[in-house]
Amino acid sequence: MDKYDCKPTLDDQQVMDFCRNGYIALPSVVSEKVNQQTRDYMDAHSESSEPVEILDEDWFIDGVIKNPSAAGAVRSLLGRDFYLPNMISSHRTNGPTPPQAWHPDSGSIITHELNYLQVFYYPSGATKEMGPTELVPGTHMSPARAAMLGRIKSLKTSKLMESPPGSIVLTTYSIIHRRSNSTYKGIRDNLKYNYWRTTEPKRDWVVDKDFGFSWIQPGDRPMFGVDQAKMFAWLSGESWEHIGGQAWPCVTARVHQDDQMGLPQGFRKN
Amino acid sequence: MQKLLYLQTDSSSVDSDVIGMSTVENGEIKLPPEDPKDWPYTNVLEAIQDDWRVVKFPELCLLYQDPFNISLGCEFILEK
Repeated sequence: MDKYDCKPTLDDQQVMDFCRNGYIALPSVVSEKVNQQTRDYMDAHSESSEPVEILDEDWFIDGVIKNPSAAGAVRSLLGRDFYLPNMISSHRTNGPTPPQAWHPDSGSIITHELNYLQVFYYPSGATKEMGPTELVPGTHMSPARAAMLGRIKSLKTSKLMESPPGSIVLTTYSIIHRRSNSTYKGIRDNLKYNYWRTTEPKRDWVVDKDFGFSWIQPGDRPMFGVDQAKMFAWLSGESWEHIGGQAWPCVTARVHQDDQMGLPQGFRKN
Repeated sequence: MQKLLYLQTDSSSVDSDVIGMSTVENGEIKLPPEDPKDWPYTNVLEAIQDDWRVVKFPELCLLYQDPFNISLGCEFILEK
């Protein structure tokens, strides 16, 4: 397996949001030339569900796997010298297709330790009609789900990854997702692969020394709760335990001057 | 023929907001309208007022496992 390093591109807020939602979408980051090359390659290898030979193509490695925006986000979340994918799955569909059942992928572990990332690449894009991947934000940290997952059909809280061509979506492996309903007559390509951590986590993404971690304001679901804070602290290399009460990451109505009680040492201003 | 109504809600209370739903009617699974604004019930109480009877309350043991992440909600199953 090959290691790779590049400049990180995500900032503190984006990494916090990744911990909260369990994914980040990068629209149109791959060039149309590479998208077309990928579509042509997949047309020529349409029988393969694991077209790993595409990982031997320099244009694919440079344009997709080492794409500066995508690899920069991976570098931010997995640290330097991460392993590049050595396996790739094709989730090509020939629509129209019904929605899949909601599922986490097999091999999922519910943990705050982010040691690998799952990636979806849409060379032809994925409009709503094409059945884009549908995610349930925040479910990457939720163990209580198998009991009722099969009965869940329509959820207000889900997000369709509607994407223009060349979009890449990075997710935690354990997030609950499915292929959504497709009414489109034709091909929709979706390539899926993983990157892997090789170094200890530390806060070496695009750091804003003045970023305020205290006094998180109430926002949309899912909330930045204790499990998400544990993931963010772990990614930052902070040794942290939640002490409860109004301590971080308890949401507050407004931002106060002092550091919030219970804030990890490296996040404190005073 | 028995009808089933699955409602996923924000909490285990019957007046909490519905975040997910599906039905079984005429022996088939039916999806609700695409836009949640068009769903027939905003909470479980409204379904009860429409003569649905609760046959299963949310699994409280799931909340013990997962008290702070209820992205998938609590689930009520009702029948007519």
